[in-house]
Amino acid sequence: MILRYLARRLFLLGFVFVALTVFVFSLNYLFPGDLVSNLTGMRDISPQKHQQLQQMLALDHSLWQQYIAYNRRLLAGDWGLSFASQQPVLAEIMQVLPATLELAAYALCLSLFAGIPLGLLAAVKKDSLLDRCISGIALVGYSMPVFWLALICIMLFSLQLGWLPTSGRLGVLFEVPSQTGFIFVDILLAEHVSRSAAAYSALQHLAMPTFILAVYPTNVMIRFVRTSMLEVLEQNYIKTARAKGLSRSQVLYRHGLRNALLPVTRQVGLQFSTLITLAMLTEVIFSWPGIGQWLIDSIYQRNYPAIQAGLLVVSSLVICVNMLTEILHTLFNPLARKL
Amino acid sequence: MNFSYCRFGSLSLVLWLTGCQPATVANSGQGLVYCAEGSPESFNPQLVTSGTTIDAISQHLYDRLLDIDANSGDLLPALAQQWHISPDGLTYRFKLRPNVSFHQTDYFTPSRYLTAEDVVFTFNRMLQVEHPFFQTATEYPYFDSIEWRHRVKSITALSSDEVEFKLNQPDSSFLSVLATDFAAILSAEYGAQLVAQQQKPLLDIQPVGTGPFKFRQYQKDVLIRYYRHDNYWRQHGDIQQLVIDIVPDNTKRLAKLLTRECDIAPIPRLAELQMFSNRPDFKVEQQTSMNVAFWAFNTQKPPFDRVEVRQALALAINKPNILQAVYFGQAEEATSVLPPNSWAYRKQNLVQSFDPVKAKELLTQAGYPDGFSIDIWAMPVQRLYNPNAQKMAELIQADLRAIGVKARIVSYEWNTFRRKLRQGEHDSVLIGWSADNADPDNFLRPLLSCAAAVSGSNRANWCDEQFDQFISGAVQTTDVAQRRSYYLAAQQYLQQQMPLMPIAHSKRFQVKNSSVQGVTINPYGGISLVNAGKTP
Amino acid sequence: MKKLRLYYEEYNKRPYQLLWRHFITQHFALFGLVILSILLLLAVLSPFVSPHDPYLQNSEILLLQPSWQGTGLVAYPFGTDDLGRDLMSRLMLGTSYSFGLAILAVSGAMLIGLALGILAGMTRGIQSSIFNHLLDLALTIPSLLLAIVIVAVLGPGLLNTIWAILLALLPQFIHGVGNAIQQQLKQDYVVAYRLDGANNWQILWSVVLPNLWEPLSLLFTMALSTAILDIAALGFLGLGAQAPTPEWGSMVADALDSIYLAPWTVALPGLLIFITVLSVNLVGDGLRNAMKKRREN
Repeated sequence: MILRYLARRLFLLGFVFVALTVFVFSLNYLFPGDLVSNLTGMRDISPQKHQQLQQMLALDHSLWQQYIAYNRRLLAGDWGLSFASQQPVLAEIMQVLPATLELAAYALCLSLFAGIPLGLLAAVKKDSLLDRCISGIALVGYSMPVFWLALICIMLFSLQLGWLPTSGRLGVLFEVPSQTGFIFVDILLAEHVSRSAAAYSALQHLAMPTFILAVYPTNVMIRFVRTSMLEVLEQNYIKTARAKGLSRSQVLYRHGLRNALLPVTRQVGLQFSTLITLAMLTEVIFSWPGIGQWLIDSIYQRNYPAIQAGLLVVSSLVICVNMLTEILHTLFNPLARKL
Repeated sequence: MNFSYCRFGSLSLVLWLTGCQPATVANSGQGLVYCAEGSPESFNPQLVTSGTTIDAISQHLYDRLLDIDANSGDLLPALAQQWHISPDGLTYRFKLRPNVSFHQTDYFTPSRYLTAEDVVFTFNRMLQVEHPFFQTATEYPYFDSIEWRHRVKSITALSSDEVEFKLNQPDSSFLSVLATDFAAILSAEYGAQLVAQQQKPLLDIQPVGTGPFKFRQYQKDVLIRYYRHDNYWRQHGDIQQLVIDIVPDNTKRLAKLLTRECDIAPIPRLAELQMFSNRPDFKVEQQTSMNVAFWAFNTQKPPFDRVEVRQALALAINKPNILQAVYFGQAEEATSVLPPNSWAYRKQNLVQSFDPVKAKELLTQAGYPDGFSIDIWAMPVQRLYNPNAQKMAELIQADLRAIGVKARIVSYEWNTFRRKLRQGEHDSVLIGWSADNADPDNFLRPLLSCAAAVSGSNRANWCDEQFDQFISGAVQTTDVAQRRSYYLAAQQYLQQQMPLMPIAHSKRFQVKNSSVQGVTINPYGGISLVNAGKTP
Repeated sequence: MKKLRLYYEEYNKRPYQLLWRHFITQHFALFGLVILSILLLLAVLSPFVSPHDPYLQNSEILLLQPSWQGTGLVAYPFGTDDLGRDLMSRLMLGTSYSFGLAILAVSGAMLIGLALGILAGMTRGIQSSIFNHLLDLALTIPSLLLAIVIVAVLGPGLLNTIWAILLALLPQFIHGVGNAIQQQLKQDYVVAYRLDGANNWQILWSVVLPNLWEPLSLLFTMALSTAILDIAALGFLGLGAQAPTPEWGSMVADALDSIYLAPWTVALPGLLIFITVLSVNLVGDGLRNAMKKRREN
């Protein structure tokens, strides 16, 4: 049963990837400019070289064969050059992606650790003052434009109070070579660096972007967990359990909590995609050297190979995480396995 | 202890570009941070003209034969201890300073001190086609513009510490040329090593010089890291590490200054100067500078091919308004391309009155009674001469609307912007120019000559024989009064033709943390941190 | 017919009235609705009621403080921006762009989404399956990212942003409508109607559609808050409205330059975005609660 389910999901994943690559491939034709340039990222190609590239890209063949050739290059890691730097796009992405992942992961954790308890609390104390406060704050946070919140926090914490730095991942005076792309690992691996001071600096740089990025998902999580818990509490099995004489806390813990948190796994997947988008805004504001800022820069630069590649990577990431959480959700929850 | 770290590093398969070197810098986050407004284009001053690049590299990495006193403008000995000029003014001899050492870095270990050979290597690169590095650069903008190849006949090493320049004609400005930031001395030994390794382009990418700081790391658009050059020949400050943090955004640069992420920031927003000068923990420094911001019309494209149209557009712009809103009064209104502190400045330049009615009349005369639509390209970066081109464009847009001209503001990312400009894709553009030296030729030739229209630095794409005759006439004579009259005529002609509308001459400002001392700015060149120090 | 009550008869109010009754008991939601009405009025009327020309630059009064602060003038209640333009007039006109265009975009997305959603909901089989999977793909990509991609293809600009947001919101509507229809089709009264001999289109027209307005209005409020935030975000990134259009997001970005000297030029447009989105969400929540209560009673 499970295997059949997994097979179906994998098939779906494959299908989705085909659709995605078709979309990204077709962007080459939609973007203005020379097709060969868009596909390879090369500039000022000589006519001779142009001829040669056309062969390589299978441009003299049917669209279908061009698409196959495109996929073959994708798999081989030949994603073309960036218009701006004339460096391989894939290498550039690999440099910036960890920064985004790091930021998003911390923010996600924060939103789970803050959002779930608050949501549960609000649901359990439904209609109390506490519930009203939590729900009210959640609504406010949910309606806040993230870039504006970030600016206000910068004004307050950086410019007025001078507590936190405004940009980057680490004080520039620390020379920490990028090896894994994850800042704390890099600090551990770095030589000649006062590790504790560098780690403290990294933490300071991380604090504000993480908080800003976590605001929206936290509030979504609060609202979601609250609704989910309330729904569960209205179910008949809760009433049965109560009728059987279990105490309120026992019921909440044994029957309520687990069932209410099940949909949360799925929500995490959905939140991840929101996080990545919001991370783009956050990165721009805090000059965080992640894929979001890189992608936005690419749009300013009309850097078509980079836009395509960035899109492909971000979407695949989002889709994979979604699929993963969906599968996890199904594994935990037999009811969801409708076969 | 450092040594054991080092061995541990090499053992643990931790490899990084610069590998393992005896740690001279205790990296505990100490050092000086200079927040630059843009990335350098190269690490060799011979190849660039942009002030941003010069600020970021030349005074830190390199020395010159001579220095200029920032206050008096006098020439001071630097790598050349003494110099001697022959009576006919054709031969210059320099005696070099002994025991000047080049940088030791991961990619180069010098085996000898500076010799005459290095000086010959440096200056022959721009002179002799057969020089191994002549071809590695497409142009030497500054040296091409002063016609180095016509001026200098030969450069020879007389002994290991004596070098001789032979000129074709007497040239009273020759020593000043050698004192500019572009005349940085390179290492011949490093050049030979690169030739042997077949890595010639690295000469301009991984620099080796004799300056107070040595190159450590460069991440494009992020930062440049320099270490202290411990064997520097001069007395110098004890800054162990200098980081040039690249922060293109004006507001962010200011924020970093406030949060102490930056120690020094150039081009502060003029609006906030007042706030900084009121605070005891910051210091605002001021320096006159030779620059001009202008609005260039692409004269190859209609309707800008009509003089009346260009005149009309220039008349329609309210310049005092721009000075107020963009420069906050910290700039002078420009009436000519040349700034008023240039010796060739034409005082009689008419102050262009703001006259929309006349502008409208001129447009009607030119056959555009109903106006037209144009694009205004606004550069996306802040430069000394123009702190906010976008805002300037919006002001101009509103002024143009009043005479029935619809303007669209266009901007691209800076590299794209410059590429498209060179290709002449623009209608009109808001940009400017900072001088490398005090010579008026340095303004007029690169901005408006026919040759510049070909090479792409003439943003108006304007080629006019009459004008070219003026500026060529001026350089062919050494008589200052005669040169001046040529330049005056050229400026008058420009005011009639209006290929570009000069807008403002800005002062140069920088803000620094009060704990930093010993920073000097050269009016024509980069910032120097030789004597910089930081009190904790 | 005489109004004679012989028997006890359940007196049913019309569902809209019932909903309204439940709605107005929630004060916050009502408050949101009032604000939204004002904003809607402003969006339509702003060109006529704004006190100054929102594009008029006045170099005499650059960065004038709001009237409640030191040097402020009563004629310029919110002060002026760095080009001397009246901030209040700009904010008022911005309502048309940030709020008005968001409503247009969402309405457009809703209409198209309704049509496609009906197709998706009423059909079955392999086509529908492929369609749904594609929809799932589009749904996993956040609307802002999708909008950024579309802007990347079309090029920056306010109009392109609107198209981008319309397209980016479509999957949500199609999915929502499709699901709602599927749910309706399972209801007993549909089965009964079908047994009566009604064909698909009759069912759709007289049973399904009238029951759709409820999920649709919820979808609308959710999409509206997304659309406002997305338009503002794109404007902030410089991909949406271009200068000198006083769209709120781009106003925040423009004012960043003077954030130290004139924090209100950053704060006010942001505050307006926040209030607008908050009101939309309040109304959305209010509607949801009211519907729930109505069903429970």
